[in-house]
Order: sequence, then structure tokens, then C-alpha cells
Amino acid sequence: MTVETTTSVTGLRNRPFGAARSERWSQLAPYAALAAIAAVLPWIGNEYWAVIGTRAAIYWVLVAGLNLIVGFAGQLAIGYVALLTLGAYTTSVLVAGNVIPAVPLPLAFGAATVIGAVFGLVVGLPALRLRTFYFAMSTLGFATIVTQIALAWKSVTGGGIGIVAPEFPAPFNTPWGFYGFCLIVAAIATWMSANVAHSRFGRALVAIRDAEVAAEANGISKVQFLVPVFLLGGAMAGIAGGLFATLQTYVTPDAFTFDLSVLFFIAILIGGRGSILGPLLGTILLTILPEFAAPLAAWSTFLYAVLLLVIVLAVPGGIADLIDFKNRRPLTDAREIQPQPALLSRVIARQPGSQPLSLRNVVLAFGGVRALDGLDLDVQPGRVHGLIGPNGSGKTTALNVISGYYAPQNGSVALGGATLELGHPESRASHGIARTFQTPRIVGEASVLENVMIGATVTGRATFLETLLALPRRATDERVLKAKATAALTAVGLETLADIRANRLQHSELRFVEIARALMLSPAFLLLDEPAAGLSADEIDRLGSLITEISRQGTGVLLVEHHADLIFAICERVTVLNLGRVLAEGAAAEIRVHKEVVSAYLGA
Amino acid sequence: MPTLAPEIPIPGTSPQVLLDVQSVEAGYGKIGVLHGVSITVYAGEVVSLLGPNGAGKTTLLRAISGLLPLTGGRLRFDARDITGSGPRETARAGLVHVIEGHRVFTQQTIADNMLLAGYDVPRRERALRIEQALAYFPEIASRLQVLGGALSGGQQQMLVVAQGLVRRPRLLMLDEPSAGLAPVLVDRVLDVIGELKQQGTAILLVEQLVEKAISRSDRVYAITRGRIVLEAAAATPDLPRRLEHAYFGHTDAAIPPAV
Amino acid sequence: MDFGATLLPILASGLAVGAIYALIGVTYNTMYSTSRVMSFTSGQLGMLGGVLGSLFILRLGMPLIVGFVLTIMACAIVGVVTEFIAVRPVLKSLDQHLYVLSTLALALMIQQFTAIEWSTEPQPFPRLFGLGSGSFDEKFWLPVAACAFTIGALELMQRHTLVGRAFLAVSEDNFAARSLGLPERNLRIASYALAGAIGGLAGFAGGELMLAFFANGGQYNFYGFVPVALGGLGNNRGSIVGGLALGLFQQAANFLVGGVFASVAVFIAFIIVLLAAPQGLFGTSTARRV
Repeated sequence: MTVETTTSVTGLRNRPFGAARSERWSQLAPYAALAAIAAVLPWIGNEYWAVIGTRAAIYWVLVAGLNLIVGFAGQLAIGYVALLTLGAYTTSVLVAGNVIPAVPLPLAFGAATVIGAVFGLVVGLPALRLRTFYFAMSTLGFATIVTQIALAWKSVTGGGIGIVAPEFPAPFNTPWGFYGFCLIVAAIATWMSANVAHSRFGRALVAIRDAEVAAEANGISKVQFLVPVFLLGGAMAGIAGGLFATLQTYVTPDAFTFDLSVLFFIAILIGGRGSILGPLLGTILLTILPEFAAPLAAWSTFLYAVLLLVIVLAVPGGIADLIDFKNRRPLTDAREIQPQPALLSRVIARQPGSQPLSLRNVVLAFGGVRALDGLDLDVQPGRVHGLIGPNGSGKTTALNVISGYYAPQNGSVALGGATLELGHPESRASHGIARTFQTPRIVGEASVLENVMIGATVTGRATFLETLLALPRRATDERVLKAKATAALTAVGLETLADIRANRLQHSELRFVEIARALMLSPAFLLLDEPAAGLSADEIDRLGSLITEISRQGTGVLLVEHHADLIFAICERVTVLNLGRVLAEGAAAEIRVHKEVVSAYLGA
Repeated sequence: MPTLAPEIPIPGTSPQVLLDVQSVEAGYGKIGVLHGVSITVYAGEVVSLLGPNGAGKTTLLRAISGLLPLTGGRLRFDARDITGSGPRETARAGLVHVIEGHRVFTQQTIADNMLLAGYDVPRRERALRIEQALAYFPEIASRLQVLGGALSGGQQQMLVVAQGLVRRPRLLMLDEPSAGLAPVLVDRVLDVIGELKQQGTAILLVEQLVEKAISRSDRVYAITRGRIVLEAAAATPDLPRRLEHAYFGHTDAAIPPAV
Repeated sequence: MDFGATLLPILASGLAVGAIYALIGVTYNTMYSTSRVMSFTSGQLGMLGGVLGSLFILRLGMPLIVGFVLTIMACAIVGVVTEFIAVRPVLKSLDQHLYVLSTLALALMIQQFTAIEWSTEPQPFPRLFGLGSGSFDEKFWLPVAACAFTIGALELMQRHTLVGRAFLAVSEDNFAARSLGLPERNLRIASYALAGAIGGLAGFAGGELMLAFFANGGQYNFYGFVPVALGGLGNNRGSIVGGLALGLFQQAANFLVGGVFASVAVFIAFIIVLLAAPQGLFGTSTARRV
């Protein structure tokens, strides 16, 4: 295949150096504008405006954290007002000294942060195991209970009468002074949540939300990525609670109605999932809206609910979608995928391995049906191995056993000398086993480049804390991943679509995006599940050359495929399955003429 | 790609077109599976639809019966346009689809499963029709109070075919009725096709067991990658070789040497 | 323990609230069976049963039977509205869980509308028959009777009517039901109407005990969901057992250690059971994901 420069298909020509910088500025511009407005507010507004501005800033401190949980990770935590309540009572009770001797204000805020984080995790834990609706319910139940306790535990919380909130020292004890303080906290919250969002952590959260199965195949375990975010979200809610108490001057249970939870939640959805600017605008909007429509104040929650329904049904993408002008530009229809297999060496660059991937006597039954009935299979590194057979013969099941989605009742899967843990899909990426899916599992709302970067999540070096504080390793990670993802996209022939939102791509393009994502691991073994389905004849030819070249780089490829011509064109060995067992195995040329195979595969 | 065989005359009087599928396109989400499929079924004939896995056979049946919306093309049944009709309308019109996988309602008895199949049939006629449909399968007709889930795969397949017959179809579409059945039962189920044909019911059959399918058919279509690549009379002498040829889409010379 | 003074009231009130929770659980299940959607409007329907009963009979002075029929009909309509507004538009993308948000939005609208147009304070519910007193007062046994009636009627319907069998069929295998030509969409609408009626009946029968109060909706939502979660989605018998057990547990804790700790205990038990058995105590895992 000739390597030629691909023509730009999106209208976004290869941009000159420096365009990236100007794009960065255009991304920051809205935040700068908001900061400017916030800064001039004291000169144009009265103290009433100071209170509203402060309230918006405090809400945002909570929403910025919650946004990572709801907007990015897609976990429907709807009772977050409970953590605000906890934070408010923690600072008030500690500073008032009605339980233990009074503590200084900063220490009280420290305690609110810790308690927020701990309960953020406790409330979040069910999300690691339960289905969406169950999790939503458990957060709702938690919110109800916190309010009930606040009412009933009179000796600590003052019950329905409430408790005096801590006062800030000068210069933060005036409305505008406190406004300034909250603004600074809100700015820090924005910065931190952006640091997380634009990192492997943020992309992993979005993958958990939109492509959970693919996330696991890429080594993203829910525990590892959700726990730090629950801690962060809880901590930020705790801090917001402390600030909220001071703003209220007096803390009573009825200040923390479920309506507030709804407001936080809707601010994120109006803003748009997976965005930071959107939910920020949403928070500001929802905070000031009732002020403009005073006669409707009683109806505000009703209107929020109407808004929520309209958003869900009409604009699931929220504000972020409406202001995403970049993805409005039409793509040309006549675009071709032109892989450049010659460039693969830049992506894979692995030492040719010598260890085979082997299955021994694998038995897996669903109910009474034996999907795999004593399967033995050896895939050699650097070879293309075809796996064919009639429907229900166990091809995809075998793939799912190797990649850990199914735990067989018997048998073993080993990579060289190392036995792989059965039934742990998130452990495969670190063994260098990557895969694609029959139906591409892609994060539709993320860009193509981000989707590909998800493939190398496990290779990132920066910890969550380093990422949160933007320490140097975060930037290094980003640079390395981006360069590699660009190389992978170029190799599969999609580099011109890198910035495009993935759900705008055609089906065939998504298949190549999945391959690029899988290549990010520099995999020792690549499992392809019907990669040619839905491709045109030309595309299948190009896919074939790409797969052949991948194997030449040292990666062993296991190819499950229905297109017999592709199998026999590129596979060195072919295994034929029937009824969960090996019907025949051998060099492709032998299998091609094997009478029994031809009849079983074609069905006669 | 082999050229399509010329129109094959049906023996007897001038054939009446029962089902006319014109350039149908359909798929799942963004994945196009059928790319302009056209087939015809005449009244009272048995037609087999053959092809490798993933070729689009099941998708085509679903598109015809309205279980899957079309993205292009037209459907005519019994001289009426049924493009865009749902499964309920097509079943009422006499176009019945027995889906693959013998999906009976496991928590309900055979009798109840049959009653459900006659949901739209007038109450007075229901019992009679159920009795007539079950007459083809004495094996299950004698066990009316057994739960669907307690039946063997073969009996479940008989049950779903009987369910289809309650509608008194003019065209019965069977999707892999032999899948997962013991060899004895395969013949048992497929032999009913002959009986139905004698009653004047047309059959559109999707089968993996190519030889068995051909032996019971008047005509065959072969489909690969969502396109019809062959149409032939079932009696064509070298049909198996031509089918294999059509599936692989290449001449033998084009098959690459072993690496 | 003194039977008359402690145990009997616990039993009476426990079974009563338990029966209400169980019926709300059945409401969840009925909607779920034809649509695979858990709707936040289930608890609101119970709340509406109480509020509308009070509105029609006390405030508008209608005869008991007229008020009852109108309440049930209105709740059935709210059920159908749920299907049209909050369920059908998001059915195509069940895996995105948009239904959690759309039904939550509708539930909030119902609750807020009631709070504003009815009252934010608990309002009295009419004395229906004036039968019994003490622990045998009708306010305790009416919910239990309503629960028993509903279960009996549902069983009869599923065993002896074609529509009932069709519900079961759609709930077991929607695709196969459609291929048979069953009117799947109409059955779904009907199941939402039925769910509305059951929810309304729960609130009406429990009206004397729980009063006509807008905030009952949220309570019913949570406490009605607990038996569903414990019993396994779509399992009515599990919901009944779970609901009655929950009611007894809650009321016992209420009498013995006080209301707040009863709520905390229920919540903690709920989380622990779910974490240990995510499919519920009587449910089975069937989902294949890949």
C-alpha cells in the first residue's frame, strides 16, 4: 500500500504551529469573561447582589465536584444536599463548641472537608455495585435520613431551632469580603476539576459512563477511578457546606431541602454532561433565575423539574452542546479511511515476544448449554490466528473468556507462564491484551482523539493527587498519550478526524477508532471481534493489510470473523469451532480445503 | 459476482406474486446490514434463503415482518403495500414470522402459549384454529398443560411453528427452525414444510442445513454481506458448488496461497 | 412484653404501613414488567391516592364510592401520562438511564404541584366506614385488605384472562411477544394505567393512617422501593413479603427506639442487603453484557 499524504476531509487542514495555543486561549476566554464579570460586580451591584453572587459561588464549589460524578462518570447521585448539610453542621458545631471545646475556623473547615470526603465515599460505595436506579435511590434515602437526624439530634444540632454559624474574620466578615473569599474558593474548585477532567482520570470516568464494557477492557476499574472522585466530590461538598452555613448565619434543617439537590443536579444536566463550562453557567443561571422571577419563587422547584424533563427529552446534550460550534461544521460525506500500516512501528514498538496465549480445556456453560466444551487454543505472538465457525459455535464466547468477561467453570487461560485471573476484564490491559468489540463501544460524546487516548489509561504515571494539583507528571502523561494517540490514528488512517466528536463518525470509521484505541497498549495480543462486519470490500482489504502489519510488529492477533475471504487472505493459522469444540485446526491453506470444515462453516 | 439467474417459471398456472421485496435496506443503529435486497415469493412456493453467518438473513426476515424498521426500499404483500407496517399488521395480513431460537413463553403452558398466538383472532374461532395448528404436532398437542420452559428444544420449536400457524398464514417465514435440534427432530420439523405447502401455504425458510433446505425448496436465494448474490431453482444440478462460489465471492484462483 | 399495649399496636401499624409499601412495590413492578423502567412516579401515585381521596370526599363532599372511583381513575390517568411523557420518549435508549431523570422530573412536578395547589401541611382524610377501634381500627386493616385484594386480582387476571397472559408474555420476552403480533404498545399503556390504579389504591386505603400529605410521595418512593430491591425486580410476591417485613421492622424500631433511628436502621439494612445481594433476596441474575 502506498503511503501518501491524506487530503483533509474535515475542512480542518493540518493546522499551523501555534493554532493549538490560540485554541487554548479560546477555551479559557469564557472563564476569563466570567471572572471579569465577578470582579466588577462589587462596583455595579448592591449588597443583595453580593449575597446572590456568594451563593452561586458556594453552589459551584459543590457542583464542580458533583459534576465529575454526575456529568463525567454518569453516576446519578441525586441526594447531594446531604453532604452540604453535613459540612454546614460540622463547621457550625465545631466552632460553636457545644459538643467539644470550640475549635478555630480553619480547623473546622478541615474537619468538614474530611467528613465530607468520608461520607462522599460512603454514599458513593453503592454505585460500585448497584444499578443506576438503585444508586439514585440510595442517595435519595441518605438525604432524607441526614435531614431527619439533624432535626432529632437536638443536643448537637439544636433540632428545628438550629445553631449559629461561624463568622469569618476580617476582611471576610462583610458581604463583599465573604463574596471575594468564596469566589477564590470557587476558582480553585474550577481549576482542580478541570485538571481532573482533562486527564486520563477524566477520560476514564467518561468511559465508565458511556462505554463501561470497553472501559474494563482498557483496564479501567470502577473502584480505582470512582473512589478518588467520590472523595473529592464529598470534600468539596463539605467545604461548600461550611461556606453555606456562614452565608446563612444560622443553620436549620429546613435550609437543606431536597429542592437544593434538584438544583445541583439540574445545573449539571442543563450544562451538559462531560463539560465544565456548561454546568458552571447552569449553576449561575439557576441561582439568579428565581431573583428575576420573584412571583414564581414558589414554583421554582416545579419549573426546575419542567426544565429537567425538557432537557432530557429535547436537548440531552445541554448548554455544552448548544455552544459546541466546532462540531456543527458539516463533515464531508465522501471520506475514505486510508490506513498507513508503515507507520505502525511508531505505535506498537514492542520487543517481539515469544510467549503464546493459551487456553486449556476451557468449559463454559450458560444454563444447560455448553457454549465452550473443553476448548484448547494457542495463539502465537506475531501471527494472525483466525477463529471461525457457525453461529453459536463459541467464537465470541472464547474471546470473552480470554478478555475476562466470562469466568469459565473449568480450564485455564495463560500468557506464557503466567496464568490469567478468570473473570477479571479490567486486569487484562496490564497483561498487554487488547480487544475490539462486535459493535464498536465508543464514547460518542468525546472526541476521536480522546477515545483513542482511553486505550492507554493504565500506562499513565501521574496519581490522582498529582493530577488534581497539576503537578508536572500530569502534563507529561498528557503529552505522551496525545502523541501516541495521534500516531495510532494516523496509522489507521483517521488522523484528520481527531478533533471530531466520535458519535458523528460512520460505523466503519468507528471500527478503525477501536483498533487505534487497542493499539495504544502496544498489545502483546490483540483480539478482534468481527472487525470487517459492516465494512465495504475496499475497506476490508485495507483492514487486512493493517492487521497483517500489526502482526509483523510482534503483536499476536486473534481474529474472529465471518468474512471467509478475509480470514484466508491474512491468517497463518485457522481454528474452526463447532458446538464449543475445535473441529479443525491448521494452516489456512489446509483449512480452506478441509471438506468437513467447508460443510460445517457454510452449513451443509 | 455471478449474474442472477433468469426468472424461473413456476410449474402450473401463471404464478401470483405473494411477497415482493424491492431494494430493501435495514440495519441496527449505524450499522447497515441489508444493502438493497430484492426477492420475490410466489403464492404456494417454498423458498430458501441461504448464506453464511452474518450475511443478513435474520435481518431480512425481521425487516419483512416489521420487527425492524426499513431504512430504504419497499415491501408488497398480497398486492398491498406493507412498507412501514409493524409486526401486528403484517401478521394480520397473513405474513407470519417465526423468529429464531424457539422463544416460547417459559412461564406459561402450551395451551396459554397457543392462546397468546391467537390474541387477535376472534374468540369464537380461536379454539378451532389452535386445534388445527396443533394437529401438525401431536407430540405437544397431548401435553397442553405443560409449561413452555419444561419442553425440549425440539418441542419448543414445534410450539413456535404451531403458534405461527394459528394465524393461518399465507406466507410463513421460518428462521433457522433446525438450530439446536437433535437430527431426528430436525427432519420432523422440516417435514411439516411439505405438509404446509400442500395446503397452499408459501414458506420462506432460513436454514443453516443447506442440503436439507434445498431438498424441500422450489427456489433458493443466496445472500452475503447484505446483498443477494444468487437466485436459482432448487433443482439446479451444481447448486452446492455455485453456492459455495457465491459465498466466498472469489474464484478459486484468487484464493491466496498459504503463508 | 405486654401484648395488648406494645406488640399489638406494632403488629397493626407495621402490617398497615407494610401493606402500603408492598402495594407501591407492586406499582413499581407493574410499570417495570412491560417497559423495564423503574419510575419515580410510583410513590407519587400513592400520595395522590390520599390527596385526591380527601379532595373529592372531604373538600368536595362527594359520596364515598364516587370519590373512590374518581381517585382511582385519576391515578390511572397519571400512570398513562407517565408512560407518554416520561417513559416512551426514552425507551429507545434504556441503557443511558435517561428514564431515571425523566421520571424524577415528572415525580417532582407532581409533588410540587400538589404542595402548592393542595397544601404543604398534612390534611385530614375522611373516615371511610367507621369500623373497628384501637388496634383493630379500619385505618390499620384497610391497607392490608387492599393489598390482599390487589394480589388476588392480579393473580386471577394473570391466570384466567388473555390480557393477563399477554402482560406476562410481554414481560418475559418482549421481542417474541411482538413477533407474535401482540399489541405490545397498548399493553404497555394498559400496564401503566393499572400501575396508577394500584398506586392510587395504596394511597387511598392508607389515607386514614398516613393522611393527605404531599410529602408522602417521597417517603412512599423510597420505602416502596426497598421491598422491590429486596424482593428482586418484577417479583410481586417478593415485594409483598419484603413490604410487610419492612413495615413490621420499621414500626417495631419506631416503638422501641424512636423514629429517627428506625429510619437509619432501615436505610443501613437496605444498603447492606443490596451490597451483599444486588439482585435482591429472591431475584436471579440473568444479564449478559458482552
